[in-house]
Amino acid sequence: MNPRSPICPMLCAAAVFTLASASAFAQAVPAAAKVAPATTATTRSAPRTADGQPDLQGVWSTASVTPLERPKDLGAKEFFTKEEAEAYEKKTLAQHEVATPGTYGDVHYSMAQFGLEKGQATVASTIRTSLIIGPEGRIPPMLPEAVQRNAARAAAIKGHEFDGPENRTLGEQCIMWPNEGPPIQPAGYNSNLQIVQGPGYVAILQEMIHDVRIIPTDGSPHLASNIRQWFGDSRGHWEGETLVVDTTNFTARTAFRGSSENLHVVERFTRQADNSILYQFTVEDPSTWAKSWSGEMPMTKIDGPLFEYACHEGNYGMRNNLSGARAEEKAAQSAGK
Amino acid sequence: MRIKSLAAIAALAMASPSMWAHHSFAAEFDPNKPVKLKGTVTQMEWINPHSWIHMDVKNPDGTVTSWMIEGGSPNALLRRGFTKNSLPVGSEIVVEGYQAKDASNRANGRDLTFADGTKLFLGSANSGAPDDKSEK
Repeated sequence: MNPRSPICPMLCAAAVFTLASASAFAQAVPAAAKVAPATTATTRSAPRTADGQPDLQGVWSTASVTPLERPKDLGAKEFFTKEEAEAYEKKTLAQHEVATPGTYGDVHYSMAQFGLEKGQATVASTIRTSLIIGPEGRIPPMLPEAVQRNAARAAAIKGHEFDGPENRTLGEQCIMWPNEGPPIQPAGYNSNLQIVQGPGYVAILQEMIHDVRIIPTDGSPHLASNIRQWFGDSRGHWEGETLVVDTTNFTARTAFRGSSENLHVVERFTRQADNSILYQFTVEDPSTWAKSWSGEMPMTKIDGPLFEYACHEGNYGMRNNLSGARAEEKAAQSAGK
Repeated sequence: MRIKSLAAIAALAMASPSMWAHHSFAAEFDPNKPVKLKGTVTQMEWINPHSWIHMDVKNPDGTVTSWMIEGGSPNALLRRGFTKNSLPVGSEIVVEGYQAKDASNRANGRDLTFADGTKLFLGSANSGAPDDKSEK
């Protein structure tokens, strides 16, 4: 990295922080499934950093049992009762993989043994029936132009999904993981992130799949519109107790829920208690949806450190997926002779 | 095979990802090739996105075949207190899974136990899984 780069001070600070945490590896504490208390709508004055910002720093879990979109059978029911929420959470956390031997559904590693089931993570409680707020609780219907755009993409790759590594998903290519955001979403597992603050910057380090988002809070403007980035260009500012982050300059290749490069995300981070942050987001894209949509979820503080997820280093799966496809093609050719 | 470079459309697959695996296991392993392997651990690779256990399996004729077993992200295991010493070289294990589609000696770790039947990583009652045999 260019040491004169404006992002260097913060990135370097994050790197030092991560290194400092490495000594805790040997002290990893076994963590049984646990559920943090539900967050409330009230806010209070958060502790402050040395330069007076609300302190959001720490390692946070974004694991959730709440789906992004409300199940259709719940209609306009935006909130569970406390009892309903507890029952739903208990039921969801107790779910286990069930697969029939000899089917593709059974071709997997054991989720429970590798500590990857949702019930084995720290999950923040909420009485919301979906992360998306409001009576609809779902992503608005796509505009016709967006439907057409996404259909064209799907048609173009159909039958070529395993032609080469460049046709595999962004996650398989270790470029980015769908939960990273913005907007940040719960990941299936390793649903953890670390927030580090310094004068004029906030950094968000995602465990999946190892990316750091550097957010200037110094009042500087967005990048020029011709500069496009996988995670967009995030600029932050403080509104009282809340960090507000505005992100534009996405690439169409990111395609969050079918979005275009015109995606615009506004996030709000508010510390509600020592162990929780309320995370709120609003998504808009005039090339994809007729109206904006918003959601929120609690983040729960967990013991660190984050562990490195050196995705590409161990990405045998890419080679194996492609060699499997070549074997299937060869078998199909032999059968056709 | 026709190579068609369509990097841009790879993004589409992110809209409906399998949140439980880094990549497609269905593309890698063959459900028509179930395997049950009993052997000795020679190496544990604690690497992301997936851990890999290497093991030697003795064949009926006395020869030895080396296998690689694909498991989950090691980060969650580390967080639960497992270390590089938790599965030492020489451990006798039994693996049930499915062989790779390309017929190489690789399989997924669908069910992993030590030779005495206890679960490889979660031998305690803490897994919460009703099908966890170690709880019974």
